[in-house]
Amino acid sequence: MNKTLLGYVPKESPIYEVHPFVKLFFLLVVSLFPLFVAAPEWNFGLLVFLLLLMFLCRIDMRTLRIYVPVAISMGSIILLSYTVLGGRHAEFQVVANVFGFPIYWERLRDALVVYFRILPMIATMVFFLSTSRERDVIVAMRSIKMPFVVTYVFAMALRSAGMVLEDFHIVRQAEQARGFDTTGKSLAYKIRKYVMYMIPLFALSLRRAEEFTNALVARGYSFTGKAAKIKRADYVLTHYSYKIHDYILILLITAAFGVLLYLSLGLGFFELDKSQFIQWLHQILS
Amino acid sequence: MATAVKKSEMTAEEIWTVQPGERRSVGVIHIVILALLIGIGFVVGAFGSISFPLGFGVNFFWTGIAVQQVGAIWFGGWGVLAGAIFPFFSNAIAGTPFYVSLAYVPANAVQAFLPAWAFRKFKADPRLKSGRDYLILFIAMVVSSAFGALWSPLVVLRGFGLLTTESVPLFIWGWFGGNVIAGIVFNFILLKALSAVVIRTPAFVKRWWS
Repeated sequence: MNKTLLGYVPKESPIYEVHPFVKLFFLLVVSLFPLFVAAPEWNFGLLVFLLLLMFLCRIDMRTLRIYVPVAISMGSIILLSYTVLGGRHAEFQVVANVFGFPIYWERLRDALVVYFRILPMIATMVFFLSTSRERDVIVAMRSIKMPFVVTYVFAMALRSAGMVLEDFHIVRQAEQARGFDTTGKSLAYKIRKYVMYMIPLFALSLRRAEEFTNALVARGYSFTGKAAKIKRADYVLTHYSYKIHDYILILLITAAFGVLLYLSLGLGFFELDKSQFIQWLHQILS
Repeated sequence: MATAVKKSEMTAEEIWTVQPGERRSVGVIHIVILALLIGIGFVVGAFGSISFPLGFGVNFFWTGIAVQQVGAIWFGGWGVLAGAIFPFFSNAIAGTPFYVSLAYVPANAVQAFLPAWAFRKFKADPRLKSGRDYLILFIAMVVSSAFGALWSPLVVLRGFGLLTTESVPLFIWGWFGGNVIAGIVFNFILLKALSAVVIRTPAFVKRWWS
């Protein structure tokens, strides 16, 4: 199994046949797709496509469970902000009354549009995080010629996030061993006491900063001055090369975006008045 | 020992002023601090984003503000950079779309920059020795969070067409309250507890980069 930023993916997953840059390119471009699509059924289609990709890439779908509460809370907030908090509009069509709040068809429709826009955007991010290892992100950045110091900081940041998480567990266990237990306490109490984790976390990180620095200086690393100008051999990049299917995938993603732009901006293909789903829902609610 | 005694008596003015003969330059430690702050912010910020979500990366109680503002006060430009970058990662993990996170960068940068600027400009003591230091931190927290709270819902979320005009106040207050309350809970204690140690380390930044 390969440990990715969000979970584990089997080494035999087809995603590892793809160059890391293609995954980054996919994230950057496909995240834009929902912004040009209003019709919810098309965005839902994109969501299903992304979930299918995750399945094909043998991502452990159980890791997606942490996003279920996110999706539900986001859906509820969108629904509330568009309906109850949406104000009163005499020009809109009332489809229901809930505790004295008029629920307008136009607001309900807009809430659905926004929700189905957000879901595939989140899924694209989750797909990237689920299939990319720290090394993949670094390789993707280096293959587009990002400066060494930027990629190095990025790599260190990702690595240190893992260390901080580990430190967090150590601090928590140490405090539990000394009798500190927040079980059954109020949320306000837990929040107040969270600072008991923050101070040791900061202190540990400051100590680590010195250890890191000494290790880097001892190995001759420098990010300023003459030593920083020396061209370094990039060992990691030697393990990755673009293959024909990588170029094909980049072309396909670019072409898909081009077609989407033409259909959306040129022909208005994804507009709401052409949405079958919205028309069907309107008929049911009217 | 004599040096230690002298350093413990440092005034707020001395903390921010480069002394004659003192050499300060950007070093590897600052790059490391930048990376570590992003790392801490990633974890601490994600906790707030996952535990108290309001939606689209806006939270009722955002713990990441502590890393953002305290880090920038101690480490100047490196803390500001980290404060602008780490929410991008913590939001991503918590399910905020890529381009929405990207558009939050100016708000996060200002939230980190203002307290750092205020402490340097008004020579406030990061160890919070007087009421004036507390007041400067509090005002900087409120003003910077107000900017973030206005930028994010009005420019970002409205720009992406994610909010109605009527629901904008909920997100403005959500962002503002979530940041200021978390700042009050964590910033004062962190500065009070650790500043005395941090200002003695080579990583501490007196000007903006060194």
